[in-house]
Amino acid sequence: MTISKKSNAFEKIGKAEVLSRLIDIFGSTNVSNKQVDLYPYSYDMTENEPHMPDFVVIPENKEQLVELVIFCNQYAIPIVPYTSGNNVGGLTIPDYGGIIVDFGKKMNKIIHVNDNMMYALIEPGVTFGQLQKYLEENYPHLRYSYPNAPPYAGVMGNALLSGMTNLGAKIGSMADSVNGLEVIIADGDIVRIGSCFYGKEEADLNSWWSRYPMPDLLGLFVNWQGMTGLVTKCAVQLWPKEPVEKPQLAIFFGLTDLAPFLREVGKIDIINDIAAFSVEVAKMEVGIPEPVKYPEEPYYTAVIPISAKNEEHLNVKLNLLNEIVEKLNHQGTNIHLIDYNEFSKLYDLKARNIYDLPSQILSLHEYSGLTWFGAYAPTDKFEELIEKTDKIYKKHGFPPFNYLKIMKGGHYGIFRPIFRFKRFTERERVLKLAEEIADTCIALGCIPYKTPSWLTAKLREKINPGWIRLFEKVKRCLDPNNIFNPGRWNTSPSSNKN
Amino acid sequence: MVEIDEKVMNKEVLEMAFDRCIKCSTCKYSYKNFEKSCPSGEKFLFESYWPSGRIRIIRGVLNGELDWTDELIDPIFACTTCGACMDSCQAPHADYIVEMIEALRELAVQHIGPAKNQQFLVSRCEESCNPYGEPNSDNEDLKKKYNLPDKAEWVYFIGCTSNYRQQSLRDATLRFLKKAKIDFTLVDEHCCTSPMIRTGQLSIVKDYMNYNIAQIKNAGAKKVITSCAGCYKTLINDFERFGEEMGFEIYHSLELVKQLLDKKKLKFKSGYNKIVTYHDPCHLGRHMGIYELPREIYKQIPDLKLVEMKRNRNFSWCCGAGGGVKIGYPDWAIEISKERLEEAKETGATVITSTCPFCKTNLTDANNAYNFDFEVLDLMEILDKVEIEIEV
Repeated sequence: MTISKKSNAFEKIGKAEVLSRLIDIFGSTNVSNKQVDLYPYSYDMTENEPHMPDFVVIPENKEQLVELVIFCNQYAIPIVPYTSGNNVGGLTIPDYGGIIVDFGKKMNKIIHVNDNMMYALIEPGVTFGQLQKYLEENYPHLRYSYPNAPPYAGVMGNALLSGMTNLGAKIGSMADSVNGLEVIIADGDIVRIGSCFYGKEEADLNSWWSRYPMPDLLGLFVNWQGMTGLVTKCAVQLWPKEPVEKPQLAIFFGLTDLAPFLREVGKIDIINDIAAFSVEVAKMEVGIPEPVKYPEEPYYTAVIPISAKNEEHLNVKLNLLNEIVEKLNHQGTNIHLIDYNEFSKLYDLKARNIYDLPSQILSLHEYSGLTWFGAYAPTDKFEELIEKTDKIYKKHGFPPFNYLKIMKGGHYGIFRPIFRFKRFTERERVLKLAEEIADTCIALGCIPYKTPSWLTAKLREKINPGWIRLFEKVKRCLDPNNIFNPGRWNTSPSSNKN
Repeated sequence: MVEIDEKVMNKEVLEMAFDRCIKCSTCKYSYKNFEKSCPSGEKFLFESYWPSGRIRIIRGVLNGELDWTDELIDPIFACTTCGACMDSCQAPHADYIVEMIEALRELAVQHIGPAKNQQFLVSRCEESCNPYGEPNSDNEDLKKKYNLPDKAEWVYFIGCTSNYRQQSLRDATLRFLKKAKIDFTLVDEHCCTSPMIRTGQLSIVKDYMNYNIAQIKNAGAKKVITSCAGCYKTLINDFERFGEEMGFEIYHSLELVKQLLDKKKLKFKSGYNKIVTYHDPCHLGRHMGIYELPREIYKQIPDLKLVEMKRNRNFSWCCGAGGGVKIGYPDWAIEISKERLEEAKETGATVITSTCPFCKTNLTDANNAYNFDFEVLDLMEILDKVEIEIEV
C-alpha cells in the first residue's frame, strides 16, 4: 500500500473520531476514508512519490471549510486543496497524509462577471472549459486567458501558481491578473484581499476590481502552493475579445533561431502569445506519431496568436512581425512565417488543439506520465538553455521537448523542458533527465514554478539565507501547526518548530 | 510492469492502463461542449467514480496497492459504460476506456463478485437463457403467428428485452418486416451476452455466442437484423473481440428502414403529427457511431417535428440503464433517466423516442416514477403507427 511520510496527525485524535467530525461537517456522502476512494488522490502524472491521504472531503461552502480548518488546526491534521490534480508538480499529493479537500466537484460556481471592469469572481473548482463556455454564452465580447492545459484544469489553481496563458506576451502569468481573494486562514478567520476588502460581511460582488493599492497581502497566497490558507474565492481579470484573429505559425531552421525572435517579438506588443515547441513533438499535433526530427526539418515551431481591432490594425501587426523576421534572417537566422489557419486546414481538427484553447494537447497525453522543469527564464540565456538541454535530451535518449514563451512585453521568458513518459516503467529514467536539466537551467538563472519538493530542495541550496528565513517566518506565522499542504517547499511537520 | 494472468480476456487493455492516461480529466466533460457527460462521476463525485479514477483502480489492484475488498464494488460497477468518456478523451487510449472498465470488472468478478443483483444476469440465463428469468421462448409461437419459415435469408434476432419486456417494439418490428416482405425467420435465441460482458461475468459468454451462431446458421440465414442497440453492438463488436467469427451481415432495423427509404421503396401514406425528440442510445451512438441515420428517418415521416435535446448525438446524456446499472443500481438508473427526461421537457416534445428497447424501458420507468407525461416510443413503434406502403 502507498503510505504517507510520518506525521503526528493522528496522535491527538483517532481516525474514527475524525471521520465522525468530517461527516458532521460535510455529510456522509461527501466524506470518504475508503482506500479505493483515497487511492486516485495518492499520486499524479508526475515523477513525484505517491502518498495516501487519510480522508477526502467534498465541500459545498466556506462555512464547512471554516469548521474544517479550526478542527484541523486544533489537532494538526494536514489539509491538501485539490481541484483536478493537473498541476504537473505533485502539489496535491498529500505527503503527510491528512485530508484532501476536493473543490472540483461542488465548489465550482462562476459567482459573478463584471462586464465593465472585466473580471470574473469564481469558486476554486471552476475549470477553464467551464469559464470559456460561460463567457461565450453570456459575455461573448469578453475572454479569459487560457493555458496549454486540459479543459478540466482549474482556473484558480493555475492563477495562484503563476500558470501560463495564451495572452502571456501581453499580460504575463495568470497570477498577474488576479484581482482579489477570499481565504480561510489557520485560525478559521475569513480574509478578503484586494478591493473587495471593504465591509464587515460579504463583499459587494462588484467590488473585486483591483489588487492594489493597499499592502499586497495577495502575495501571502500566490505561489505558496496552498501552504498558507484555503482560498475559497478568486477574482480573475477578463479581456475584450478582439474581433479579428490571424494566428501565425513560425518555423525555425536554426537550433537557436527562436531565441532572438522571442526577444524581438516580445518588445513590440503585437502578439497575444507565442507557444514555441521542439519540432519533434510539435509534429505530433498534426498527427505524426513518432517524435523524430529529420535532418532538413526545422528545430522549432511556434504558434503565435495575433488578434486586432480591425483588418487595418491586424495588417499593421503582421507587417511588423514580418519585418522582425526579415531583419533576423538578414542577420543569419532562417525563420519562416505561415498563416496558421491555412496550415491547419491541411490536417484534421485536432491540429487546432494547440491554438483553440482550452484543449487536450495531443502530445502531452500520449503516455501515463508527464512532468517538466517549468521555469521563468532570463531571455538572454535562451540560446544557452536550448543548446545545453538539447545535448542532455540526447544523452538520456529522449526526444527534445522544449516549450518557450516570451512574457509580459518581453520582460521575461518561459523555458519549460517537458518529459512524457510511461509512469510505471520509465520513472527513474525520467527523474535522472529532469534532475540534470534542472541543475543546468537553475545554474543559468531559471526559476521553476509549480515546483515539486525534490526541486525546492535544490532551490533551497541556492537561495539566499535571508529569503529562506523570511519564508519560514511567514509560514510559521500564517500556519503555526503546519496544516496547510505540508511538504511543499520541504515544509515537514517538524519544520515549524525550528 | 505487473504480470497479468494470461487467462484474463482483456489482458491487453489492462496493460494499456499502465502506459496511458495522465488523469487530465478531459473525460469528465463532453469535449469542447463542456457539458456534464459522466453519470457515474456526477452522482458519486469522488475521483474513483470517474473514468480516469477507474484506470487508477486497475493499476492499484494489479500492482498490489489496493486490496480486493467489497469497498471496490461500487466504484467498479456503478458505471453505465455509456462511453461518454471515450468520446471526450482525445488521448490514444480513448477508444479503449470502456473495454478497460469491462476488463476491471472481469477481474473484480473473480475476486469480489459483481455488484448486488448483477449475479442474477448469469444465474437466470443458466436457468432460462435470458437475464430476466422469464421462461425461455423458443419463438415458435411467433413463427406460427407471423407465418415464418424455418429457414430464411434473414434472422430477426429479437433480443431479450424486446422479447420479454418490450413486446410492442418486437411486434412492431415483426409487422414491419412482414410488410417489407423480407424473407426472415426467428430462432430459439439465447441472450446475446451483452449484460454479462458489460458486468464482467464471462463464464457463459463464449458458449452463448457459439449457440446463437449455430442457431442462425441452422436457419440458413446470411443476414441478421435486430431492433436492439445492445444486441447490435454485441453481435458486431463483441463477437469479434471474443474471437467468434459469424460470417453474417448484421443490421439494426433502422438501417433496413433507411435502405428502403433511400431506394424509394418505403412510402408514407399518413403522418405522425407530434413533436418528437430522439434519445441516442449509447450502444448505437457512441459505441457504433450511428447518429444521423435515425434522424434522417424521423425527418422523412410526414408531420413529425423532430426537436433536439441540448445534449445530443455524441454528447447525449445516457439513459442510465446500461452497464448493469439497471439491475445493480435500479433507483440510480431512473435518476439518470429523469435528468434525460427533464432535458427532453425543455424541447417541448411530447414523445421521446429511441432505437433501443433498454433505453425505452428505463425512460419509461423514469417517466412513470417521476410523473412525466411523455409517450416513450421506439422508432419501429412510431413507424407502426403511421400508414406505410413498401414496394417489394
